[in-house]
Amino acid sequence: MWLGLWLAVLGLAVGIVIGLNIPLVLPQAYAKYLSVAALAALDSVFGGIRAAMEEHFDNTIFISGFFSNALLAAGLAFIGERLGIDLYLAAVVAFGVRLFQNLAIIRRHLLKK
Amino acid sequence: MSKSKSMTRSIYFSITLVAAVLGLLMVFQFRTTSSIDRGIPYDRVQELAMEKKQVERDIAQLQEEAADLSAKLNEAGKGYNEAAGALESELAKVRLYAGLTPVQGPGVEVVLENLPGPAGTGLYTIRDDDLLKVLNDLRGAGAEALAVNDQRIIATSEVRMAGNHINVNLTKLSPPYRIKAIGNQAALKSSLEIKGGIAEYLSDLGIKVTVQTNENIFIPAYSGTVDYEFARPAVK
Repeated sequence: MWLGLWLAVLGLAVGIVIGLNIPLVLPQAYAKYLSVAALAALDSVFGGIRAAMEEHFDNTIFISGFFSNALLAAGLAFIGERLGIDLYLAAVVAFGVRLFQNLAIIRRHLLKK
Repeated sequence: MSKSKSMTRSIYFSITLVAAVLGLLMVFQFRTTSSIDRGIPYDRVQELAMEKKQVERDIAQLQEEAADLSAKLNEAGKGYNEAAGALESELAKVRLYAGLTPVQGPGVEVVLENLPGPAGTGLYTIRDDDLLKVLNDLRGAGAEALAVNDQRIIATSEVRMAGNHINVNLTKLSPPYRIKAIGNQAALKSSLEIKGGIAEYLSDLGIKVTVQTNENIFIPAYSGTVDYEFARPAVK
């Protein structure tokens, strides 16, 4: 369990270092999509942590959920942009709510111990 | 934990991968956002682009309108030219009627001459009423333009005695008096030479009267200026 946490922190650090060292800046037009995708990814990670605490963590669900959520959120934002609706707000609200739910559950698990 | 070793390893691997991707995503987002803060906000760019599109559309529309209006202006200019032409021809006509343009045409030339002899000693000197009678008869016979010694007779012309001379248009005239008239030659001539007419009457007084028809009589324009000080067009 603790090894997993440390690995997660290490992965995060590696990602940050790579991101900071790539001289690539996304066009501003994509910033909105990326932000929603990042939110979805964050939600997936917290979902994974929660699943691990409830002891029914499934690797496949975790990985597929992570990428599909991120892509879906970005796609939703994109489609919303084309249709003239701020559809990314739906993704922000949905993932935001789930994020807080997951956080609450994780907190309870931690406090119960 | 009851899971197999390979299973836990793949879980660790995926956790690391996901964490790395998440870190990458967040850093990218962070950098993009901060670059947005430094640069022009994307919304603003979009707004300006839309505004530009709108303005371009407006320009096209306005250009169309300008072309339309200039065409209309051209047409109006044409109309104006026509109106100006009509006014000019009307003006020329009025000037002709008023005696402000030189005219020519068929008519008669009447010469009134005192019988020879030193001035003032003749049997009879031509007086203003003789001249007026001749002019009046010519007018009555339909003369369209009249002149005495090249002084055009217009609406305000006077014919009056001033000493030994006769004034017409404030100009001193002396005999012989040549009266030119444009009109129907036969009518003019016969109006003067009718039996008991003015020619006979003047001849009886001892004045030499010659009436000549002429195919092309030239009558000059009134040379003074017409200026009405008191008369104004009546307002209904």
